[in-house]
Amino acid sequence: MKANWNRREFLQKTSAATLAALAASAPVASLLSGCGRGAKPGQTNGTADTVILLWMAGGMAHTETFDPKKYTPFETGMEGNRVLSTFKSVPTALDGIHFSDGLQAIGGVMDKGTLIRSYVAADMGHILHSRHQYHWHTCYEPPQTVAAPHLGAWIAKELGPKNPVIPAFVDIGQRFTVGEAEELKAFHTAGFLGHEFGPFFIPDPSQGLESVRPPVGMNTRRFERRNQLYNDLINSGPVGEFGSDYQKESLKRSMEQAYRLLNSPEAKAFDLSNEPKASYDTYNTGKFGLGCLLARRLTEQGARFISVTTEYEPFKGWDTHENGHTRLEAMKKQIDGPVAQLIKDLDKTGHLDRTLVILASEFSRDMMVEGRPDAKVLEQVNQPDILSDLKFYGMHRHFTDGCSILMFGGGIKKGFVYGKTADERPCKTVEHPVRIDGIHQTIYHALGLPPDTHYDVEKRPFYSTPDGLGKPVMDLLT
Amino acid sequence: MPLLTESFWLWQFLGRLHPMLVHFPVGLLCVALLLEIVGLLRKSTELRAGITALVWIGTGSAIAAAVLGLLLVNQDSYAGATVTTHQWLGLTTMTLAILTATALTTRQISLYRGLLTLTIVGVSATGHYGAMVTHGDDYLSSVLPSGKQPVALSTTKFAFASTGQPLDEKQVSQLNLEVRSILAHNCYSCHGANKAKGGLRLDTQAFVLKGGEDGPVLVAGFPEKSDLIRRVKLPAGHDDAMPTKGKRLTDSEIALLEFWIKQGAPWPVGPEKSLYRVAALEPRTPALPAAPADLNNPIDRFVNVYFQQHKIAWKAPVDDRTYIRRVYLDVIGLLPSPEEVDRFSTDNQPDKRKRMVQELLNRNADYAQHWLTFWNDALRNDYSGTGYITGGRFDITNWLYTSLKANKPYNQFVRELISPTKQSAGFIKGIQWRGTINASQRTEMQAAQNVSQVLLGLNLKCASCHDSFISDWKLTDAYAFANVFSDTTLEINRCDKPTGKMAGRKIIFEQLGTINGQAPTAERLRQLADFMVQPKNGRLYRTVVNRVWAQTMGRGLVEPVDVMDNEPWSQDLLDWLATDFVANHYNIRALISTILTSRTYQLPSVALKDADLLTSPNFVFQGMVRRRLTAEQFADAVSAVFSPVYPDSAVVAKVFPKQIKREIPFARAVFVKNDPFLTALGRPNRETVSTSRSSQANLLQALELTNGTQFNTALNRAAKQWLTTYPTATELVKRLYLKSLGREPNFKESAVAQQIIGASPGIEGVQDLIWAISLHPEFQLIY
Repeated sequence: MKANWNRREFLQKTSAATLAALAASAPVASLLSGCGRGAKPGQTNGTADTVILLWMAGGMAHTETFDPKKYTPFETGMEGNRVLSTFKSVPTALDGIHFSDGLQAIGGVMDKGTLIRSYVAADMGHILHSRHQYHWHTCYEPPQTVAAPHLGAWIAKELGPKNPVIPAFVDIGQRFTVGEAEELKAFHTAGFLGHEFGPFFIPDPSQGLESVRPPVGMNTRRFERRNQLYNDLINSGPVGEFGSDYQKESLKRSMEQAYRLLNSPEAKAFDLSNEPKASYDTYNTGKFGLGCLLARRLTEQGARFISVTTEYEPFKGWDTHENGHTRLEAMKKQIDGPVAQLIKDLDKTGHLDRTLVILASEFSRDMMVEGRPDAKVLEQVNQPDILSDLKFYGMHRHFTDGCSILMFGGGIKKGFVYGKTADERPCKTVEHPVRIDGIHQTIYHALGLPPDTHYDVEKRPFYSTPDGLGKPVMDLLT
Repeated sequence: MPLLTESFWLWQFLGRLHPMLVHFPVGLLCVALLLEIVGLLRKSTELRAGITALVWIGTGSAIAAAVLGLLLVNQDSYAGATVTTHQWLGLTTMTLAILTATALTTRQISLYRGLLTLTIVGVSATGHYGAMVTHGDDYLSSVLPSGKQPVALSTTKFAFASTGQPLDEKQVSQLNLEVRSILAHNCYSCHGANKAKGGLRLDTQAFVLKGGEDGPVLVAGFPEKSDLIRRVKLPAGHDDAMPTKGKRLTDSEIALLEFWIKQGAPWPVGPEKSLYRVAALEPRTPALPAAPADLNNPIDRFVNVYFQQHKIAWKAPVDDRTYIRRVYLDVIGLLPSPEEVDRFSTDNQPDKRKRMVQELLNRNADYAQHWLTFWNDALRNDYSGTGYITGGRFDITNWLYTSLKANKPYNQFVRELISPTKQSAGFIKGIQWRGTINASQRTEMQAAQNVSQVLLGLNLKCASCHDSFISDWKLTDAYAFANVFSDTTLEINRCDKPTGKMAGRKIIFEQLGTINGQAPTAERLRQLADFMVQPKNGRLYRTVVNRVWAQTMGRGLVEPVDVMDNEPWSQDLLDWLATDFVANHYNIRALISTILTSRTYQLPSVALKDADLLTSPNFVFQGMVRRRLTAEQFADAVSAVFSPVYPDSAVVAKVFPKQIKREIPFARAVFVKNDPFLTALGRPNRETVSTSRSSQANLLQALELTNGTQFNTALNRAAKQWLTTYPTATELVKRLYLKSLGREPNFKESAVAQQIIGASPGIEGVQDLIWAISLHPEFQLIY
């Protein structure tokens, strides 16, 4: 594997972990780390230093959330084709822009961000959540001959941690014990970049502290003593006889760094019980809301890439195959308050300036169309044309031709709307289609990473977006 | 050594003042010495005041230059022996200057004169090395009469260029190869099969002679009239200059092109020689070299020749304790018990090492349970993963385990993978995701890619999408090979777009035989399997012996192990191992035995400072390269020495033969589904083929080992058990060391350990001690 520019060549030889350890240990190094690419430690030469991805797992219908169409209330025996939205529209902070009822809080902060209404997901012949999620997160359609890295892993590899004691890629909220777990694991990975740049999992944000504190039942004193003993034992043994090698050195260095993290003041950021009650309650709409709170706390301490998910589990969350309308009321309650609060809090503390927050989903949904209007795919949902029961009232089919994405902060335009979908079914993208490589490159651009970032794997270049062709959507950036 | 990636501008700016500032000490101190000599000749001290000022300012500037120099080397990307030499000379000179100034101030005049002279020598040497850094190693020597060389063609290869004689066929072919190599590396990306900017292609004779939209690019015999030469000679930035992107051609490359055109731009008739190194397909049996009597293992005799060539002396074999630990881990993946170490150390028979290897290799189940990990990685076999829930993937575990246990001859093993039974079909069936997938990832193409990579050390991934840029393999070759595995005839897709052309059917190396394209798939696969395993397919056997060598020696004879066209560090040894393997009836355990009983294997292990050195083409073999325990070896070592990491219920018994539970000593990690603990320690997710593991530790791994539940729970259980068995501190520490590291603790270790667990040990103390030992490099490494 050979990198294509000097900085990366260096990062490849001296892993991010090494750098972090250096910065954390030697005073000279920490002095120099203050003289990094930007003016402050961990700063990039782009417009953002941190990325938070708020993942709406399972397919979030655009017409029921950020791109509402004509509302038709439920009547028994109504024609499904008449229904474009099952909620009323409500105004937002932006003139003439409406959201679906239940998203008033997020609507209230839209003056701080950009709304994309024209994301077009890939057409992969057969709608499969895990496959589309794989594609969204890696920018590559599975399967691949080379293990493709997650967006967060590219960022961790290229930029390293922002604060040496906070892992560069933190993944909050996804358990791997639920359905399609293996397919999820396939893209929650650093792939060929190496495990070092992979996700640090916090499946339950309220248990965040568990991941970064000494093992259960071990107090700080004992933890310190154990570490001391470890070092003493190594120093008293004949290990020196074996000479110096990278395995041993990297082991000692990593252990040292793990010890630092588990013992650092920053680790308190993982502990949500330190949050003032009023603020905690605002965020506490459940696991996702607390995930947003954890993301905010980690951002304040210097996180690089954080993903917070509503969690993908087949037929749960946004994956509505029936009762779409009623279930979406609950989903909106889960996200509306915390997402808006996250933006407000980051804005208030000034972190939003250099933190890019993205809210997205693998595709959208529709009541009638499965897949793309012009493409025939396997029917997966039993959706009658005549709605005999409230449970059929909702967006139960998978729709790839028009999805909404929100972006805030880190150099993204404020109060801006990009792209458009049709007002009549099929509600597909009619202006400025945006594809996944454009989204990834916009994120990379904000982080100051060039679009042709690549590594040679088995002598072939593997780019951050396929063939290095993706381009940032410059219209979204200030 | 650079400390950080990109630096604060001020440090960088100051650093870059270094080349300017260095002239002060050089100039001032030299003048000081000159005046000193003048003063000495005149026998006067009237210049002394001036000299003193010169020495002090010179010394001060030397210090400043050194500091800025250190900044520079840390900020900008400088590296290499010259820089290091320059750096140390500079620091030495600075010290000398300070001493000089001190001696002068304290009036120790003779000392001062001596030191000043030394300083000037230092300044000159430092300056010389500094100039080499900035202007190149041959800055001075190149202008000396002896150092001056004519531009290009001076290499012995093209000695014929200056003779003026007409070139013979071989020379034409060689010249043409060099020219094509220059064109390939500098021009093909815009003027090749995939792009023809300005209508120009430079990848075949016809295209080169045809030229582009602007007319012909060369006039045979007249380089000065050839547009190609004009353009490559233009200064960068000129509108017509070529290449527009990337580096400019060197003078010698241009001279070579000119020479070639002058010769009439010759292009040999018949098949072109490849631009890339292509390893021989057929087997080769090198003669056994003569060697001293004590080197009777053939491996040692080849290595002896290699050592002589590289002036490396044989070191004494490792001691019994090190040896038994190595062979246990390499053959069965487990640590030897203290009793086994004892028995082995006290055995006085000269053939005890041979016997030990044989005994271990005879432990069929234990052997299979270790090597299963390697083959699971390589054959992409796992007990959970994508595709299983949708019926798009099949495991081959039962077949694989049974084959390893029975030591199935490798030719038969390969035959059954390619022309499979139901049990072994999972490998060529690949992983099928639902929905449409990229044409280069259809399961038939996966089969072609994986068979090529794993069994032949050949990368067909590029060519399965378009003609390869890194080898001579074409899209049609890849499709023809994939088509052998296909029930229907595949349509060739180029970069995922249908071409309308249908694929042929042939084996990737046609010399091995002709597949009957009309035969049904099963018959075709039988033919393919037969052709593949023929002894004349030297590549198949070189690939596997190289893999086994890499597994036991820490690095392959060829690296990366999937690129068998690369040059081995000993072609003779690789070839001999492969033919011997065939002669020994494809017996993998016999191969392992030959390696493990060699003097070569018994050499002290070699430490690498940087993981990149492992695959470096400059690698020089000196002995086994140190490795870290794999995730499975580590988990098993903890389980066996301390307490089981996995409960018996974690074993995925249903994919193994029925009697499996009776064959395993405890729930070995190879039998459990992948989990965060094993992932952190490097077990790959087996969505793709994986043939080597990283030995490098990282933070996520360290976190898992520091506070992971899986690991700490096992340690806690272990502490309780150990405490019950060994209530006294001394005995407990001694046994822990014996069992984990195969030795007793030394005095200091014993003291540290006992201090932690206290006179009357408690669970916490013991658990912490066990933790520390299991993360000890001595426990973690195969050395």
